Amino acid sequence: MAEAAPLEVRGLTKRFGSTTAVEDLTFAVEPGRITGFLGPNGAGKTTTLRILLGLVHQTAGEALVGGVPYRELDDPARTVGAVLEASTYHPTRSGRNHLRVLATAGGIPQTRVDDVLEEVELTAAARRRVETYSLGMRQRLSVAAALLGNPLLLVLDEPANGLDPEGIRWLRDFLRSFAGGGGTVFISSHVLAEVAQLADEVVIIHRARLVAHEPIGALTARAGEGAVVRSPQAARLIEELGRAGIEAARVGEDRMRVHAPAERVGEVAAGAGIVLHELRGEGASLEEVFLELTGGEET
Amino acid sequence: MIRLVHAELLKLLSTRILMWLGLLTLALVALFLSLTAANNAADELARPGHQRDLVAFAAVSAVVALILGIVVSAGEYAHKTIGHTFLVSPVRERVVAAKLVAGTLTGLVLGASATVVSLGLTALWISVRSVPSHLGSREVLLAVPGTLAAAAIAAAIGVGFGALLRRQTGAIVLALIWLLVGEPLVAAAGVQRYAPGHAIAAVADAGRRSGELLRFWPGTLLALAYAAVLAVAGAFAVSRADVS
Repeated sequence: MAEAAPLEVRGLTKRFGSTTAVEDLTFAVEPGRITGFLGPNGAGKTTTLRILLGLVHQTAGEALVGGVPYRELDDPARTVGAVLEASTYHPTRSGRNHLRVLATAGGIPQTRVDDVLEEVELTAAARRRVETYSLGMRQRLSVAAALLGNPLLLVLDEPANGLDPEGIRWLRDFLRSFAGGGGTVFISSHVLAEVAQLADEVVIIHRARLVAHEPIGALTARAGEGAVVRSPQAARLIEELGRAGIEAARVGEDRMRVHAPAERVGEVAAGAGIVLHELRGEGASLEEVFLELTGGEET
Repeated sequence: MIRLVHAELLKLLSTRILMWLGLLTLALVALFLSLTAANNAADELARPGHQRDLVAFAAVSAVVALILGIVVSAGEYAHKTIGHTFLVSPVRERVVAAKLVAGTLTGLVLGASATVVSLGLTALWISVRSVPSHLGSREVLLAVPGTLAAAAIAAAIGVGFGALLRRQTGAIVLALIWLLVGEPLVAAAGVQRYAPGHAIAAVADAGRRSGELLRFWPGTLLALAYAAVLAVAGAFAVSRADVS
């Protein structure tokens, strides 16, 4: 029997009253890889993650961690490390005591508490009340909590939210080394750029539904070839390109973006005797592909 | 299960809530007891029944224990730490059960501290006012188990009620309104002895007879029944609710 996927959802649906947060979602996360979970705010990412982590009950379908529902895991803290979105703490409890509580409940030796504090570079502030922590420190405390049980799977919900560039770099380096050690990472974000350099593959959802699940390379390829063209006869060129079945979008007085290789644009222009002042091949950025896939909505 | 109870106790001990509630209890006991002892005539103070009344001020701890119980179960929703708790321990009924045990134990400790203070202060007033001591009498000594049981059961009721509502402030306000308004209204209807507050009072009143209250054992069984029903309903509500 094949080993179960670290994370898997099948036909997952969640309705809150008349609102559908997640609709018939199916995907599985590969072991030993970093998978980005992308979608605009409100697409259903947090709901999906919370169902996977047993915090929210699905309306229909299955959400499995290593083949079983989270609630049936023998030892959840040693199986999954989770960083919840905008993690909250008791303001007057120290970071170290927060971890001690979790370690006690999870049957994890108290020595691990100081180990993980060291690992996220929080030792110096460990005995201070969490209310004195910066956002970056709170986020690192979340990561420390996730690491307590030495899990091989990390689930992170928008961990970069509110982090400064230094914090984001720290997180990225950390997750790379975690994955380098054979760990599986599932990380959600509404900003593609945050995970583009990190993820091996991406699951993209929009308006509660899956729109893509592919290797990051395929997403890059999807961006396809395009060209930026400058011509004094822009209107005529767009017309001619349209006749050739090529889409073009005006981005200035005489500039346009064309969804076709530069060679093709040159041929059409030559055939119609149109003067070009500039013709340059340029693929769409991942961000643009993401926007296209998710309906071009602002995130 | 033991480690979950341990974790719940650690949660209480790693913030200041327990210290504040403890100080509040001791201050209330000392205040009520001393005001009463100072204002009453010496021959009044000499009666065993009156000395029992003084020692029994420790039962104020039951009201604080009720609040403490609510904090134990609903506090994690107020501070949104309940998600962390359920990640480590996803079988939520076990978490509620651990909170019930930890809350009851802490209520017991609260009742015990209040009793130590009320016994000490009563002894002090007896000596200050130079009246004979009845502190060793059965009537007075029965206030001790009465207070301990009342505080422990009140804390358990608080845990169940807090779990049922999952809103800390709302649950505390509702509980206090019930005690201040609800119970007197029930008393006006003449059926107060079956109300939860009066059932707890019957527990605290151990060894005495009052027309207003049930006797000790029926009162204790009724108070335990309230605690059990609320705990089961609370565990059910907690298990079903989404944590967002």
